[in-house]
Amino acid sequence: MSAALLDHYQTLAATAPKAHVYQAVGQQRLSLVELPNRKQEAWRYTPLAPVLDYQFAAASREDGLLVPEDVAALRVTPTDHVCIVLLNGFFMPELSTLPVQAGLEVLDLAQAIQTSAAGIERLGSLSGECLHLFGAVNAALTGAGVYLRVTEKLTQPVELLHINYSFDSEVLSNPRVLVQVEANANLTLLEQHAQFADVLGMHNGVTEIFLSEGAELIHPRLQNDSLRTRHLSSLHVQQAASSVYKGTTLALGSAWSRTEFHLDFSGGHAHCELNGFYLAGDQQMQSMHLDVLHSVPDCSSREAFKGILYGQGKAVFDGNILVKKDAQKTDARLSNDNLLLSRDSEIDTKPRLEIYADDVQCSHGTTVGQIDPEMLFYLRARGIPKAAATSMICQGFAAELIAHCDYPALETKALSILQERLAPVAANL
Amino acid sequence: MLSIKDLHASINGKEILKGLSLEMGAGEVHAIMGPNGSGKSTLSKVLAGREEYEVTSGTVTYKGENLLDMSPEERAHQGIFMAFQYPVELPGVNNTYFMQASLNAIRKARGEPELNSLNFMKLVRTKLKALEMNEALLKRSVNTGFSGGEMKRNEILQMTLLEPSLAILDETDSGLDIDALKMVSMGVNSLRSPERSMLVITHYQRLLDYIQPDYVHVLSGGRIIRSGDKSLALELEEKGYGWLQQEAAA
Ligand SMILES: Nc1ncnc2c1ncn2[C@@H]1O[C@H](COP(=O)(O)OP(=O)(O)OP(=O)(O)O)[C@@H](O)[C@H]1O
Ligand SMILES: [Mg+2]
Repeated sequence: MSAALLDHYQTLAATAPKAHVYQAVGQQRLSLVELPNRKQEAWRYTPLAPVLDYQFAAASREDGLLVPEDVAALRVTPTDHVCIVLLNGFFMPELSTLPVQAGLEVLDLAQAIQTSAAGIERLGSLSGECLHLFGAVNAALTGAGVYLRVTEKLTQPVELLHINYSFDSEVLSNPRVLVQVEANANLTLLEQHAQFADVLGMHNGVTEIFLSEGAELIHPRLQNDSLRTRHLSSLHVQQAASSVYKGTTLALGSAWSRTEFHLDFSGGHAHCELNGFYLAGDQQMQSMHLDVLHSVPDCSSREAFKGILYGQGKAVFDGNILVKKDAQKTDARLSNDNLLLSRDSEIDTKPRLEIYADDVQCSHGTTVGQIDPEMLFYLRARGIPKAAATSMICQGFAAELIAHCDYPALETKALSILQERLAPVAANL
Repeated sequence: MLSIKDLHASINGKEILKGLSLEMGAGEVHAIMGPNGSGKSTLSKVLAGREEYEVTSGTVTYKGENLLDMSPEERAHQGIFMAFQYPVELPGVNNTYFMQASLNAIRKARGEPELNSLNFMKLVRTKLKALEMNEALLKRSVNTGFSGGEMKRNEILQMTLLEPSLAILDETDSGLDIDALKMVSMGVNSLRSPERSMLVITHYQRLLDYIQPDYVHVLSGGRIIRSGDKSLALELEEKGYGWLQQEAAA
């Protein structure tokens, strides 16, 4: 079984069109890599059958046909804003709204590679180390995706819309997104993994983000893939001095979902905020993995994650913050709060602070709780029926985290998906 | 309006109310005083329908119906309102949204049309003004980070919005400054009417200067040990509860 799966991905890699020297790194890695298994720390709590029991076929640019109206219905930004559409991982200019303003370049990844666009040499430099199977697959198949380069302070947000939809099922989309925000420039990038059809596919995305000195990226992300999809997102962020990254990931969809955050500081006085919310119901597994590295002094990071679990939902929170010896004056706070609505749901939470510097302020905290009977009684005593009251408490719990998106249209969309999913659950508690 | 007969209630197997009886007619204001831990909040919560309390015997009849059969939300729909001694924080739940949901749930249950946001805002603003409350509190999460006094005003705001038939105020005066106390009393007095009854739980005679009760009861050890008119409150202020408890024990 395992040999067959490795063979399968190696064949895909060998037959993929050659686009970048980095593919060779991926291919080599593929020939060495072990299948993810639960003896490995990074996969300890993660059920793997949903991704290892399928031989997903690589998506091609011709899979799935969409018209601009399909896209319009999924967007959260006004139609005159820049919206970059990736269909099964491939950048679709004809479905996208492309920039006319100065300060923002949007290039098809394969083209950026061919034309050696400025900065493209950084591709793979963050994600290169410690590749697991899917990281190696993504690297070996490098080609689909987009390169974004920001050189000014942009006033309008940019939407990045991923749609997985193909005529064949069990398709693997393999996008790579490279974001470069130059010194003192800034960008709000609203990323959506939108649900267009009920497909069983796998999304295997890698995003590399480089923030130069004083750059700022606000990055709300809504993952609402079909409930049969497998979703893996690996985000790699590198922050130069005085840069700011604020990412808020809302993981609502997918049968199996894993979001990895790898964050590293290269200069002082940079700040990062990583927020996440996950919803896991029957036949759903959500996992969040944080790997925040403080290796230079004077940086701060805030990591706040919350989850709601119901039915037989399962979630994993694996949050690691490593403060190295030289990273004095680091200020890092990690929290993970979970609301369990059923006896059969399961959360494995493992926050970890590893500190080798002595002059730091760091903390972490975890809670796992149920609906507070005091809150429920307060609402019911005000005439609000039990189911609606339960829903309201859950929405409130989530709303605090979702508000970090700072973009009302996206927040409203997330809250209404949540409401729709939780209403029948609350009615049966 | 409300008739409580020989009510026994316990929590976690511990009996708190031990044969409590109380009759309240429409339009009447009753005050309940009594030492800490005597069961005043227990009585309020049993009346509001908190399920953790087990009623082991006795009856409660409200407007001719068996109150104990109703869920907390049904009681609210039937016009019962309890201002909590310790209002509950609801993080992430917007205060305005909550109050609108509450009012509309009650209107819906009564077959009345629900209020849209615009009309609700108009209504809530007039009530706010009367209570001299800070409008900023409407935009915050329910009770979250509110000061003690702000929470109590927020309870009274809800009461004036919901216009209950039976209002139970559990120590709404505790923790209020003098101006707030007047404001809360005004809120209560503005609701006084021949169809509406109020049960006011307090430790302080001062509140009863503003809200003049028809009857004053002393609750001690889970029972009403003395009832009288408002002069009883003055007597308690002077002498404390000891003499009554001794009498009751004798
Ligand atoms: N969950 C519980 N388990 C055990 N005992 C409880 C519980 N809840 C309340 N009690 C007890 O019931 C008794 C009555 O409490 P209650 O809150 O009704 O008093 P109270 O008269 O309102 O007091 P106060 O004036 O201090 O507000 C107290 O002794 C209290 O400790
Ligand atoms: Mg009390």
